[in-house]
Amino acid sequence: MDIVLTINGREHRLGVDVRTTLLDVLRERLGLTGSKKGCDQGQCGACTVLMDGQRVLGCFTLAAAAQGAAITTIEGLAGDGAPLHPMQQAFLDHDAYQCGYCTPGQIMSAIACVTEGHARTEDEIREFMSGNLCRCAAYPKIVAAVAQAKLAMGHA
Amino acid sequence: MPDDASWTTIGAAVPRIEGRAKVTGQALYASDEPVANPAFAFLVLSTAARGRIRSFDLRAAQAVAGVLDILTYENVGHEADPPAPHGAGEETTTMQTSRIWHDGQIIGVVVAETYEAAREAAYAVGVEYDAEAPSATFDSPGVQEEVREPGEHKDFAVGDADAAFDAAAVRIDARFGTPTQHHNPIELFTTTCTWHDGSLTVYEPSQFVHGLRGSLAKQLRMDPKRIRVVARHVGGAFGSKGIPSARTAWIAVAARRLNRPVKLVATRGQGYTIATYRAETRHHIRLAAGRDGRLLALRHEGWEVTSRPSDYNVSGTETTARMYACPNILTRVNIVHTDRNTPGFMRAPPDVPYMFPLEVAMDELAEALGMDPVELRRVNDTQTDPATGQAFSSRSLMRCFDQAAARFGWADRTPQPRSMRDGDWLLGWGCAAAAYPANIGAGAARVLLGPDGQATVQIAAHDIGNGSHTIIAQTAAERLGLRLEAVTVQLGDSDLPPAGLAAGSSHASGICHAVAHACEDVRARIAVAATTSNAGPFAGRDPATLILAQGRLRGEDGTAEPLHDALARVTGGALEAYAENIPKGLPPDSVGKLYSGQMAISRGTQREDLTTYAFGAQFVEVRVHARTGETRVSRAVGAFAAGRIINPRTAHSQLMGGMIWGISSALHEATEIDTRAARYVNDNIAEYLIPVNADVREVEAIIVPEQDAEVNPLGMKGIGEIGVVGMNAAISNAVYHATGRRIRDLPIRIEDLL
Amino acid sequence: MRTFGYDHVHGVPDALRAGTDPGAHYFAGGTVLLDLMKLDVMQPGALVNIGDLRGQLGAVALDGDGLHLGALARMAEVADHPAVAQHYPVLAQALHSAASPQLRNMASLAGTVLQRTRCSYFRDTSWDACNKRSPGSGCAAIGGVNRHLAVLGVSDHCIAHYPGDFATALVALGTTVDLQGEDGTRSLPLEELHRLPGDTPHVETTLRPGELITAFHVPAAPWMRRSLYLKVRDRESYAFALASAAVALDLQAGTVRGARIGLGGVAAKPWRSHAAEAALVGRRFDEAAAEAAAAEAFRNAVVHEETGFKPELGRRTLVRALLDAAALEV
Repeated sequence: MDIVLTINGREHRLGVDVRTTLLDVLRERLGLTGSKKGCDQGQCGACTVLMDGQRVLGCFTLAAAAQGAAITTIEGLAGDGAPLHPMQQAFLDHDAYQCGYCTPGQIMSAIACVTEGHARTEDEIREFMSGNLCRCAAYPKIVAAVAQAKLAMGHA
Repeated sequence: MPDDASWTTIGAAVPRIEGRAKVTGQALYASDEPVANPAFAFLVLSTAARGRIRSFDLRAAQAVAGVLDILTYENVGHEADPPAPHGAGEETTTMQTSRIWHDGQIIGVVVAETYEAAREAAYAVGVEYDAEAPSATFDSPGVQEEVREPGEHKDFAVGDADAAFDAAAVRIDARFGTPTQHHNPIELFTTTCTWHDGSLTVYEPSQFVHGLRGSLAKQLRMDPKRIRVVARHVGGAFGSKGIPSARTAWIAVAARRLNRPVKLVATRGQGYTIATYRAETRHHIRLAAGRDGRLLALRHEGWEVTSRPSDYNVSGTETTARMYACPNILTRVNIVHTDRNTPGFMRAPPDVPYMFPLEVAMDELAEALGMDPVELRRVNDTQTDPATGQAFSSRSLMRCFDQAAARFGWADRTPQPRSMRDGDWLLGWGCAAAAYPANIGAGAARVLLGPDGQATVQIAAHDIGNGSHTIIAQTAAERLGLRLEAVTVQLGDSDLPPAGLAAGSSHASGICHAVAHACEDVRARIAVAATTSNAGPFAGRDPATLILAQGRLRGEDGTAEPLHDALARVTGGALEAYAENIPKGLPPDSVGKLYSGQMAISRGTQREDLTTYAFGAQFVEVRVHARTGETRVSRAVGAFAAGRIINPRTAHSQLMGGMIWGISSALHEATEIDTRAARYVNDNIAEYLIPVNADVREVEAIIVPEQDAEVNPLGMKGIGEIGVVGMNAAISNAVYHATGRRIRDLPIRIEDLL
Repeated sequence: MRTFGYDHVHGVPDALRAGTDPGAHYFAGGTVLLDLMKLDVMQPGALVNIGDLRGQLGAVALDGDGLHLGALARMAEVADHPAVAQHYPVLAQALHSAASPQLRNMASLAGTVLQRTRCSYFRDTSWDACNKRSPGSGCAAIGGVNRHLAVLGVSDHCIAHYPGDFATALVALGTTVDLQGEDGTRSLPLEELHRLPGDTPHVETTLRPGELITAFHVPAAPWMRRSLYLKVRDRESYAFALASAAVALDLQAGTVRGARIGLGGVAAKPWRSHAAEAALVGRRFDEAAAEAAAAEAFRNAVVHEETGFKPELGRRTLVRALLDAAALEV
């Protein structure tokens, strides 16, 4: 079927198998491989993207059903050579990753965690970042990064 | 010129140099590599665990729109051999024949225009089996148990452990069990294969690109020079990506048949049977001591599950026999053959399962003696390897205990079980020792230094989150006297000089030594050019006295000239140096072995001059709900002495991550097996639990400074594994302290504490 | 995943028309459906995307009759809704404890109420025997790995558990559910929406073909401020319940005037324990009363190989929840 997706401010028209997930369109059709496939079953959060500002899972979103929404992926946060988003910078500053595979999903989820108002305390950050698994287990550093970035993002 | 902090050195806590790529989504993992017009593969796995395939019915699958090819043993079985076995014995086969060795074995590959079509068709493949009842695990009918013969791993018999045990005043005699665990890196097992003029390029997450290349060359009967394996970034591995798996050759065959790139992204569930895992183990420990706490006897017997044909085992008795001074030691390991996929190495492979029983037994012994558990370790500390009688190169076990205990506040512990409480939550404090051999891999590296003062380091190292990019750059920057930004690192590519297997805490030391050697070659050539020149400030000096530092070539008297000027004296104003490093304990052909895809690791347990180990101490606080039994780790402090640390920042992440792995191992992880079908049941990461952010509270990793001139020239011991070791026992000991229940089978679950 | 027809509808009548096609499934968040389609457990012939009906069926309102929840409201927005948190804390807590923030942003209330069991034998098609997936084939979970499965409401044909949190809380509070079909609308107690497995475990609800859940109504009761959801699980978050309790207490001068008790993680469907409620009402509340109620709740529990601990865990979970609820300052 023919679909139109709005990703990082750009419109993409493409023909897809109706079964195709948003994640597979990003990765296999549009070359936006920052969003990762870690389970394809809604269990890890590595494919987290923003749809109209809300964090959702690319693996559980049919591409056809993502039409009409403004989709933001990790590639949409900072262009080549451009300054990093405060959340990206905070992950760098705190070594809030090791292998880096879950990191794009963590960062997209963390941005939403802050904008939702769910980053008021460290306990709240822990709970509301629990949809993103990190097998390297950088969790304490992720919490520190979110706590740093929320201030830079203008949240208390 | 005064020293300038912006000149990075070994030991500086600099951020990862690939950090920006990782936080912007630009870092390319294997399945992110762009290839033109790929077809997509989906694996068909067996649903029988033992027997043979009687027949396939491919009609429905072939009828799915978009299907391009279906591979089974019937049409491609002769085109690829299985990977060589890892460890003794034989490896299971996949599509070579109709034979079924285990549930979830690869029996077919469907290739289609889209992922969706390939998956649909794979589900439509009909298979009839001549199936037999499988043997799933310990105690299943039909398993074959045998004593593991000495080979890669040794047993120890010092003194007379049985007689000493019988005669001792204080004795602990207990049995323990640890479960099956799967690595579950978040990156899935992927393979992309492309052919060009008879040459094969493979993009696959790997901990050993040369190993995978060498294996594929044998499997596909090709010249290894015609194979390239690329893994620029690896999304976690933990051992799972170190051993060549059967899938790769079949994807290569599929791509060759179609003359088109083929891409496989195996599902999370498939990963449980197409790669390896940590096998379940059982243990019988006997520990005896005098009233003063000094150990008199240690007897440790282990049982490990493996597949039907393989003798793979981890034999962690090689560590437990070395932990404490003891005049009578006996170890033995048994392997139990089942109809399962072959296990492999998973983070601290021997020490996670084997240190659990020893360190719980030590806690039990401390209680029986009325001694503090830390003091019991102190009484039995030694600088001599009790199993062999040779010296440890260094051993800072008690410094680790003392620093961690102080930080944790251990002195405030009341020893009586159930004596500490916070409202409805029982508090428990426990501790345990950690240890891991200081291994080091052979390796080779190439350094290119240009007239602009920019260096490129080429080494087929692996960055699996261990910080390889950064420590390579740091080593080169220091040895070449460059700023970190002036060093470009190329790794994860079998076209580069080999760096060996990134596993067993052997990689950082292996690659840093290789890079340091190549840099030394660069320095020496610049120095020779400077000292043999008729002109210039260094004419006639001894080249060995010159160093590269802060963008200059420097003499001992402070004479210096810019690197650019010094480089101008060498031919072309640029240098390329290649060097190999063969660590002590390895034969001279070790780098040649790496090129051919074999491992070359000098083990801390196998040197003939010294025993080399890193040591640590783990302290944890658990909270157990008095009514409903949930157990959470509220605080953990670990202290580790592992020689020279190249980058304390990335090292801290490794150690902390290891400790959290330990929390996971003790409280969460277990692969459940349906014994009727020998099938993994919770083969996903919603039911196979690993910690989420909310599970992790305070986790503190202390790096205890340690200098060791004997272990290797840079004094490095490796830190990838030790963080997880000991946590199983520390948590079990803490749960005992909280509840009075001694849990000897992992993981510790609610039902154990009701 | 098998291929399917895809229909994006913009109004309820269109939805109902499309939804009556055999093999059609309504699709909103998609978090249950896509999961099971990828596993080849579900093979709908057509998906009817009702996401756009959220404008009509997504409202959250509180009035004198109680709380009215549009079926397509998303879990996250209801969890964070101030009126829900204030008047029905048990509902907010159940929602917050379910799944992950991303999934709660996607899943609709109706979708989460209709979520299907996590029984591994249902979810893995390499098991031939599953009466829920393939009627008459048997139950591989009996005699297998069944630690997470049910002890209440099970049958010899199925021991699958209902894994959800929100429906457990909803059912405890006496919620009614509005349904709309081509033949008209009807309402029924939520307790009657899910069926026990009996000898037809594949028939999970009393929904008629093509019927759409449009709303949930939670009765008004000021005392439901004294309510909470306690979820006991193997890890701290993003995990299914081993046992959970949704409780609300009308406590006057130490005596229980009314009680609502739902049990999760232990039952074949969203479980309201009328027996436990009856054991409490009229009694002076103390730990013994809570324990007596818990004993009633699990009186008819049936255990299998690995579920022997679940009645005890379920009792303790309920007792703890009741004690905590009684101690609330409201």
